Amino acid sequence: MTSTELAERALAQCGDGEAQATVTRERSLLSRFARSRPTQATAVDDLTVNVLVLRDGQAGTAETNLTSDDALRAAYERADAAARAAAASGPGDHPGLPGAPGAYPAHDGWDEATAALDPTLAGGALARAFATAEAHGFEAFGIYTNGEVETAIASSTGLRARELVTDAYMKVICRDDAGRSGWGAAGGSAVAALDAEALATEAAGRVPREEPAELGPGEYPVVLEPYAVGELLVYLSWLAFDGLAHAEGRGALDGKLGTRIAAPSINLADAPGFTATLPHAFDAEGIPKRPLPLIQDGVAHRVAYDLRSAKLAGTETTGHAIEPGGSPHGAIPTNLVLAGGGAADSAELAAPIERGLYVTRVWYVNPVHAKQTLLTGTTRDGTYLIEDGEVTRPVRDVRFTDSVLRILDTTEALTSAQKFVSDADFYGRRFAHGVVCPALRAQGFRVTG
Amino acid sequence: MTPDLLQELMAKAEGSCAYAEARQVHTRSEDASVLNGSVEEVTAGESEGIGVRVRIGGGWGFAATRDVSAAGAEEALARALAIAEAQPAAPATPLASAGEPARGHWEGPCEQDPFAVSLDARLAHLFEAEEPMRGDERVVRTWAGCRAIRTTKAFASTEGAACTQVLTECGGGIQAVAVGDGELQIRSYPSSHGGHVAAAGWEHLLELDLKGQAPRIREEAVALLTAPVCSAGTTTLVIHGEQVALQVHESIGHALELDRILLGEASYAGTSFVGAADLGSLRYGSEHLNVTADATTPGGLGSFGWDDEGVAGRRTPLIEQGVLRATLSNRESAAAIGLEASGGCARADGFARQPIVRMTNVNLEPGDAGSLADLIAATDEGLYVENNRSWSINDRRWQFQFACEVGREIRGGELGRLVRNPSYAGITPRFWGSLDAVCSPSEWQLYGLMNCGKGEPGQGMHVSHGAAPARFRGVQVGVA
Repeated sequence: MTSTELAERALAQCGDGEAQATVTRERSLLSRFARSRPTQATAVDDLTVNVLVLRDGQAGTAETNLTSDDALRAAYERADAAARAAAASGPGDHPGLPGAPGAYPAHDGWDEATAALDPTLAGGALARAFATAEAHGFEAFGIYTNGEVETAIASSTGLRARELVTDAYMKVICRDDAGRSGWGAAGGSAVAALDAEALATEAAGRVPREEPAELGPGEYPVVLEPYAVGELLVYLSWLAFDGLAHAEGRGALDGKLGTRIAAPSINLADAPGFTATLPHAFDAEGIPKRPLPLIQDGVAHRVAYDLRSAKLAGTETTGHAIEPGGSPHGAIPTNLVLAGGGAADSAELAAPIERGLYVTRVWYVNPVHAKQTLLTGTTRDGTYLIEDGEVTRPVRDVRFTDSVLRILDTTEALTSAQKFVSDADFYGRRFAHGVVCPALRAQGFRVTG
Repeated sequence: MTPDLLQELMAKAEGSCAYAEARQVHTRSEDASVLNGSVEEVTAGESEGIGVRVRIGGGWGFAATRDVSAAGAEEALARALAIAEAQPAAPATPLASAGEPARGHWEGPCEQDPFAVSLDARLAHLFEAEEPMRGDERVVRTWAGCRAIRTTKAFASTEGAACTQVLTECGGGIQAVAVGDGELQIRSYPSSHGGHVAAAGWEHLLELDLKGQAPRIREEAVALLTAPVCSAGTTTLVIHGEQVALQVHESIGHALELDRILLGEASYAGTSFVGAADLGSLRYGSEHLNVTADATTPGGLGSFGWDDEGVAGRRTPLIEQGVLRATLSNRESAAAIGLEASGGCARADGFARQPIVRMTNVNLEPGDAGSLADLIAATDEGLYVENNRSWSINDRRWQFQFACEVGREIRGGELGRLVRNPSYAGITPRFWGSLDAVCSPSEWQLYGLMNCGKGEPGQGMHVSHGAAPARFRGVQVGVA
C-alpha cells in the first residue's frame, strides 16, 4: 500500500469535522564506524500515521504506526477526544485546515540509487575511508547513511499532497593516537554526493600535526568554516525566525524587523528549491514551500509562520509548519541559504588577520540567552591559530559564548563558494535538513574558556 | 505481549550468526499542555515493532520493522544479516557474559494509571496549575504540561533469554516566561525542560503540587527582569538538586560510558577524558563524591528488570569517596577491557534503534550536610542557583558551562537578593574536587531527564539521577 492510499484510508476513518491524515514512511540505512572498524549498522522500515482533528479551533492529534482499520479508527478517536476535551475549555486559535492549494513546486530531491538502500554502498564507502585514513596514519570514525522518506497528506478540506525524497550523508573524523582530530562531511539528495576518499582526505588534512597551543579567553578575529557557520545558523533559525516566538514577543527579532541587524553583506533566506539543499515541496500542513527572505543586505526582513502562529500575528502562513496542526515549538525555516561573498577561499579570509582563530566546526551548542541569540559551545576537529594572515598552528579546542547576530553584524567577508552542511541527527522520524552557506570572517569572536 | 514469537525467531537465527537478539516494543504515550489560559496541545501516540540485532564476526547488523508477524520478523532478521555481511570484515571479539538468561516478567511502579485519568481531569489539573501564573502583563507565557508513557517489551536471544517488561512513566511541570526591556526570563518548576517525570503513575504528578508553586514561579520570573546580573568572579557555589542532577549527568554519567572511553562514540557524542586504565586510581572528586549506577532505584526512569541485552538490573558503585571504581558498560565494551560480565547498561530507544551504552540511574549519594537551609546557614558567602537554563560540555566531558534560571546571593549564612542570568563553568575533576558538602538523605530525590541524546541514528533516552543540594568551593561564576 502506498503512503497516499494509507493517508486516504486513515482519513476515511475520521468522522465529521475537520481532519488531516499525514503518513510519513522512512526506509533507511545507517552504518557507523570507529577506529577504522564498522561498529553499528541500522536498517529502519517504519512509518507514522498522524491524525489531526479540529474542534472549535482546538487541535487534537494522535500518531500510530499500526495500519489496520481498527488502529486507524482508534487513532482518530484519540485525536477527536483530545480536540473535544480541549474545546470544552473554550475555543482555540487554529484558523482551520487549508483547502487544496495550487500545484506544488517540483524538485529533484529523489534519487533512484539512493532509494535502493544497497548495503554494499556503505560497505564500500567505509572500506575506502579506512584505507585513506590508514594511508595518512590515522584511524577513521563516522557514519554513512542514506534513506528515502515518503510523505502523504489527505485532509477533509480536499488537500492532497505527496512527496518522495531521498538523502545521503557521510562524515569522517580522522584521529591520531594523541586524540588530535580532523573533520570532513558531505550530504545531499543522492549518494553520488558522497566521496568517501575525498572526505577522509579532507579530514586527514585537518588533523593537527603538533601539540596544540592554549588560547586564553578574549575576543579574536575568526574564520569560521561552513561547518561552523551552518550550525550557528540552525540555532539562529530557532531563536530569530520562529514566528510563534516572534508573535509572543520572545523572538530575537522582536521590534527589529526592518532594521539593520547584520553586516550589509549578509543575505539569508529559506530557499527550499535552492541547488544543493534537501528540497521539500510542502510543509507539515500541506502549504507549498516558497523562498522566504529572512535577512536582506543586513536588514531583518521576515520571520516564518505556520497557520496558527500566522493567525496570532495577523498575517499569512509562510509554509513553515514542522508538525501537522503546528508545533508548540513554533514555525522554523529548514532550508537556510546564506549567500556567498567575494573571497576565493578560507585562506583569503584569513589574510587580513594579524592574530585570530580558525574554526572548522562547533559542538554542543546551546542557547544561553535566546532573545540575544547568545550561544555557548566548543570548537572541535580542527581549531587553529591565524598569525600574520596565515593559518599556522593548532590551538586546543576553546569554549565560545557569543551572539550569532553579533557575529553576523561583524562579518567582514564571505567566500564565494557555499557548502551544504548538516548534522544528519535523525531523532524520531527521519527529516533530513541542512544549511547551504559559505565560510566567513568576523571580528571579536568571544572565547570564554 | 509474550516472547514466544521472538523465541521462534531466535531458533531460526541459530547457525547463521554468532549471536542474535530480538525485541518487540509497544509504546503508548499521551501529552497534554495548556498555555496562556488555553489548551496548547493534546497528543497521543502509539507504536509497535520488532528490532533484530545479529553479530557476525566482529560486526553487528540491526534491522527494525513495524510488521510484528512471524513473516515480518523473519524479514527483519534477513535484513540484519545482510547488512552485517555487507560491511568491511572486522575480527571477531568476545561478548562479556549476560549472566543468567533473562526469564520472567518485570513491571515498574504505577499506583494510579495515568491513562485511566480522563483528559478532562488532566486538563483541569493543568489549568489549575497554570492560572496562578497569569495576571502580570510582563508574563507573556504561562505553561503547564503533563505526559504519560507506557512501554511494554519482550526480549529473546540465542542465549536463551525470554522475558517481558512494562514501564509506566508520568510527570509534568509548569513554566512562566517574562519579557521586559529587552530581557527575557524563565522560571520553571519542578524542573526545567518540561518538568519532572518519574517511573510512576498519576500519583507522581499530584505529589508535585504544581498549583501550590505557581505564584512563586510567576513572581520570580517577573523579579528576575530587573534583578542585578550575576557578577563574574570566583565564589562558593551552592547548587539545587535539580541542577546537581544535570551536572552528574553531563560530567560523570556520560564521561563514564565505556563505549565513549573506548572511542566508539567519537563520531558523534564524543569521547571521555577518562581512560580505561584509570579504573581504581583516578581521583574524580573529593571524598564527598560517591556516585552509583543503580537500575534498581524505585521510581527511576533508568530502572528495569533487564537491560536491552538481557542483563539483570543492578547497583554498581562508580565513584567511592572520590575515586573511580567502575564505568557504565554493555557486553561488547565490558569484554573489550577484560571484564567477565556486562555492567548492564545497554538500552535502546524503542524498537527501531539498537541497544547502546546508556546511563541507568546515575545517583550522587547523599551526604551529611543536613537540609538545604542547614547548608546555606553554614555558608558565609557565595551564590545559590536553581533550575537549569543552558548546558554545554566539550566532547571529552572535560570543560563545561551551565546557566541556571535563578540565582541568589548568600551572605552571612542567609539567602540574599535575586540575581539573573547566573552561570558557572569548570573542569570536571577540579570541579568535583571542590565539592565539600552534600545534603543529607532528607533532601535527596530523583530527577528525571527525558532528553538524553546519543547514538546514530539518534536515540533519546529517559534517565533519572538521585541528587541533593551540594556545595562547591572556588567556582568560576558569571561566565556568560
